Amino acid sequence: MAAGVSEKKKVAMEFAVTYAAAGALALACGAVFIVAFGGDVLVALGTVLRSSLGTWGGFAQTLNKFSPLLLASLAVAFGMRGGHFNIGVDGQIYAGAIGMTGTAFALEGMNLPWPVFVPLGLLGGILGGWFWGFIPGILRVRFQVSEIFVTVMLNFVALYLVDYLANGPWNDPLAGEAISLPIPDASVLPQVMPRAGAHAGFIIALVAAVGMYFFMTRTIAGYEIRAVGDNPRAARFGGINVARVTLIIMPTCGALSGLAGAIEVSGFHQSLLLGISGAEGAPNYGAMAILIAVIGRNNPLGVTIAAAVFAVLVSGSDSLQRSIGLPGAAVFVFQAIIVLTVVFVQARRNVRAG
Amino acid sequence: MSLLFDISLFQLTMLMMAPLIIACLGETIIERSGILNVGIEGVVTLGSVTGFLLTYYSGSAIIGCIVAALSGSVLTLLLAYFSVTLRANQIVIGLGIFVLGLGISPTIYRLAVGVVQSIPQVPTLKEIPIPLLGAIPFIGEIFFAQNGLVYMSYFLVAAVSFFLFKTPLGLRLRACGENPRAADTVGIDVARMRYGACAVGGLFLGVAGAYLPLVISGSFTDNIVNGRGWLALMLVIFGRWVPVWSFVGALLFAYVDAFQFKVNALPQFAKIIPPQFLLMLPYVFAMIVLVQVARGAESPRALTRPYDREARD
Repeated sequence: MAAGVSEKKKVAMEFAVTYAAAGALALACGAVFIVAFGGDVLVALGTVLRSSLGTWGGFAQTLNKFSPLLLASLAVAFGMRGGHFNIGVDGQIYAGAIGMTGTAFALEGMNLPWPVFVPLGLLGGILGGWFWGFIPGILRVRFQVSEIFVTVMLNFVALYLVDYLANGPWNDPLAGEAISLPIPDASVLPQVMPRAGAHAGFIIALVAAVGMYFFMTRTIAGYEIRAVGDNPRAARFGGINVARVTLIIMPTCGALSGLAGAIEVSGFHQSLLLGISGAEGAPNYGAMAILIAVIGRNNPLGVTIAAAVFAVLVSGSDSLQRSIGLPGAAVFVFQAIIVLTVVFVQARRNVRAG
Repeated sequence: MSLLFDISLFQLTMLMMAPLIIACLGETIIERSGILNVGIEGVVTLGSVTGFLLTYYSGSAIIGCIVAALSGSVLTLLLAYFSVTLRANQIVIGLGIFVLGLGISPTIYRLAVGVVQSIPQVPTLKEIPIPLLGAIPFIGEIFFAQNGLVYMSYFLVAAVSFFLFKTPLGLRLRACGENPRAADTVGIDVARMRYGACAVGGLFLGVAGAYLPLVISGSFTDNIVNGRGWLALMLVIFGRWVPVWSFVGALLFAYVDAFQFKVNALPQFAKIIPPQFLLMLPYVFAMIVLVQVARGAESPRALTRPYDREARD
């Protein structure tokens, strides 16, 4: 018993050291960048923290980044837990955004009250994402095509589809750019902090995280997904229908990302535009979601914490972009360093242990 | 119909083909050794920024290409370290390298160039028609009136094929990808072969990246690679890890890409087909092709599997 406790303590210590080292390396890299771009490290760090957590407006922006990041990361983690690599979060976010916007325009004339309209719109987004995740699922089951490729290719297809809709049929002629008409007021996600500008998306995202936890640990389907992820051959011999599991995993991944896209439209942009999954030149949610899922070890709690840290990083580095001209993509470097460090420490331990 | 067989369309096809096949050959070498590099898109992006900047500052495209090749090699060696020495999950590490390349490239660019009014440009490589061959009507104009890097891509297809299938070293490399245990037993240093494959394959990936600003755009933009790395990864499967078949695939893809480019440039088509649908074409085509070729495609058997000398299997 005592040995068990000390073993647990040791694991927790190693865990803490790993993440502290990763954080320190990322910070050091950040400091190098800030100096290279001619900024003052302490001033810049202060700016990052103040603009992401220190003011109500900044905190609201961090929350607004947190909801799509968490949902997108859950979409990746859910797939990875079952041995599926979903690189198509961006496409699924766009598909969800299209679903949300389309539903909002279709139901515009019905004068629905918001408690009905908003859930219907979000459902439209979920369905859009679900469909975008179903395609790689069915292609993998039917034709043994790797979902990695299909999800990547579908990203580009969805991107151009949004480009078409925002420039073509749904274009707002007064905006003069690639942006759709605004969605009706009743389909806009309510604000939680109206003055600071935070919408209710983060609550939905947190509910999804809790839901995924229970699904994974308390349901048969969740058990089957974990079994396939751990060892697909053993799972098949154990009588699990792996094809069915794939057709649960991929569309669910899509639905989660689709919800993220729907929330971005309904809560944040209130119209359909190209920058929904990260504006041009800025980091997109899909790439970040992969890293968050790895750092959070595909565990809903771990993913939630990692997504919160990344949300701070993203909204904080937005301010550095304005003050010292650090490109938005630099945040990818910090994140990649965190991931590589975490993998490095884990892998070295495994290699040593033999 | 004449549009489909236009000579300038075929010329553009060859132009678009070169970066795809160069990256694909690099990836083939890496995968033949038993390592899957899903970070290819990030490595190619790094190659395009270093290639562009060095060409811009030195005025020599050759220096640009060399530095791009070296930078690609360095980033791919990072993958080798994680997959060979640390035996980490190659897909996870590859994705990490993908994002690292995506992030570090615009950062390097901005550091070097700063915030400027007009974006820096390099002159794109000129065509060097080959004497005699280039004068052959049609065929010559398509294949032998191109820039130097296109010729290099022909040469590399032949060279990599010869290396993989006709040399002892190529055989050893393939053995590491098929059955590292057996390779080890006959005295092949699997780890060294895999490191070597990553170092050499990375050179190719870097040059493929440099090609984009040096030939196609003349400048660097954040999304310059635009999925070409992923397409190259797919072409490896399309060609079943055989360079010549990948070359055929690259021609096919480049043709579709060149076609959408040409059609989009014609105003009379814009009214019939929205340009975005044409832009989708290469990616949709890629998925359809994958469905056709993925069935029964046999990868090197040890692909993505780390090799542990001491493990019993």
